[in-house]
Amino acid sequence: MVRIGKAASIIGGIQCGLGGLVSVVAFLIYASSSIRDVLAITLEEVYLHIFLFLVFGIFSILSGLLLIYGEGSEG
Amino acid sequence: MEENGLKRELGLLQALMMGIGGTISAGVFVTLGHAATLAGTSLIIAMILCGIINFFTMLSYAELGAAIPSAGGEYTYAKASLGGFLSFATGWFEWISNMFYAAFCSVGFAYLLSYVIPAINIPLTAVATIIVFSVINIRGVKETGLTQTVLVIIMLGILGTFVLWGLFISQNAGPFELKALGGFFGVLKATAFIFVIYLGGEAIGVAQAEIKNPEKNIPQAILLSSLALILIYTIIAYVIFKIVRPEDLVGQASPLAYVAEKFMGPLGIGLITLAGIIASLTSINTSIMAHSRVAYALARDGYFPKSFFILHRVYSTPVIAVLAGSIITAALAATGIVNFVAYASDFGFIVGFIFVNLSLMKLRRDQPNIYRPFKVPLYPLTPILGIVTSLFLVLFLEPSTLLIGVELFILGLIIYYIRMVPYNQVRLAVGGMNLGVSAFSGLLAYLIISNSISISKSHGIALLSSVVAIFVSVTYLLAGVINVIRNNR
Repeated sequence: MVRIGKAASIIGGIQCGLGGLVSVVAFLIYASSSIRDVLAITLEEVYLHIFLFLVFGIFSILSGLLLIYGEGSEG
Repeated sequence: MEENGLKRELGLLQALMMGIGGTISAGVFVTLGHAATLAGTSLIIAMILCGIINFFTMLSYAELGAAIPSAGGEYTYAKASLGGFLSFATGWFEWISNMFYAAFCSVGFAYLLSYVIPAINIPLTAVATIIVFSVINIRGVKETGLTQTVLVIIMLGILGTFVLWGLFISQNAGPFELKALGGFFGVLKATAFIFVIYLGGEAIGVAQAEIKNPEKNIPQAILLSSLALILIYTIIAYVIFKIVRPEDLVGQASPLAYVAEKFMGPLGIGLITLAGIIASLTSINTSIMAHSRVAYALARDGYFPKSFFILHRVYSTPVIAVLAGSIITAALAATGIVNFVAYASDFGFIVGFIFVNLSLMKLRRDQPNIYRPFKVPLYPLTPILGIVTSLFLVLFLEPSTLLIGVELFILGLIIYYIRMVPYNQVRLAVGGMNLGVSAFSGLLAYLIISNSISISKSHGIALLSSVVAIFVSVTYLLAGVINVIRNNR
């Protein structure tokens, strides 16, 4: 059980990290035209991509926190 | 939690200045140029139309504010009438909008100041301004009200000088003619475009728990400020078109400063820049007060952490709510993303307008006998017109504004779910979403590897994307499984 708790914390940490990275990418898509070029994002699609990246980023961070604190408080 | 400790220290004058100062922001000084190209001299009609639309909803604020004078404004009205997620959503948008609005005004202030002191750092100045006004807001509501009153009186003095000087200079300029450059549709477009300059007066409702003699002062301050704004904006527009033609304002970064220079010279530019700077400061002051009181009210009802309900021992202000909101505001201001924060605050304010009118109608139906010191005339016509006109404004919002609004709505929904729904259910739901994301990422990785979809022009980026998608898929699969199998423990 302790092992599952540890694994859950690591996975939660990875999810938080991924969420943070994706949120940074969302900001870069907004701020940097070279990033938009690399990812082949047209000007019309910018806000759609920011929207999707931010939703995923926020969800990932919250899900990660839930895993970390959920297992932490129970373990 | 019982609400106690907030002191009723704001009189009618301070409440009125909260409304006027919270509304007149730096936006007024820059939006008139584009609006004039849409509506021509008929911008005056658009100004009055906007004021009337705003007045419909302000009538609802006046009735609800006098009947339920607790902290939180729109949120408190929605809580008393709609309850549940709708009331949380109202408070959520109100909280977010005011923080975003404070960030927008602080960046605007820094830009205006950079005209006077070009060497300043914009994000740093914006953050420093937020810190200063956060301290004033923590120091006490009396200090907040006094600062606001002094600043608004100076700003109105400058605008009054502009108007009187302009009227004097232009008395022999010939008769004034109303011309709509873009026809009737142009006037409507201008109405939607300039509506933002009327947003902010609802701050009186948010601070209503700190207003003396609320039964009289709240409705009087709300209605007087919205009428005063119609008068101020209309006279300014009239003076502008007595001095210059609408076509002359095309491409002007600060149309008001341009007009002032025409008849006042360099002094005009200086005065209008100073008025813009003060307008930004009063809006920041009001917004910080508003977001902290909304957070305080949301904590009172258990939606936000209890610490937001803590009052400062000496100053009786919600110190944690002020600090938490100001940290987010400062972070937003530091990014300097002006458009994003402006769009987000517009959306939130308009959603708030719709919910306030709905709250009024629901409360009239469900609790017809509660004491109402002020009642909206012509009910239910005015709240219905308030809802219809707010929806009309939503139609004119940019698609990006609507997208940002949806994002904020989803974020609010997640927070509400986490705070109010039993832990096991949240964990099961998140586990299910994790498995869904895992399946989607796995499918995405397969499609990239099989060249069924093109992620990027670069082969390396495409390969990296597929590796990331596989990694995400495995991580979320594990997270989903753990959440689902361990949710009953």
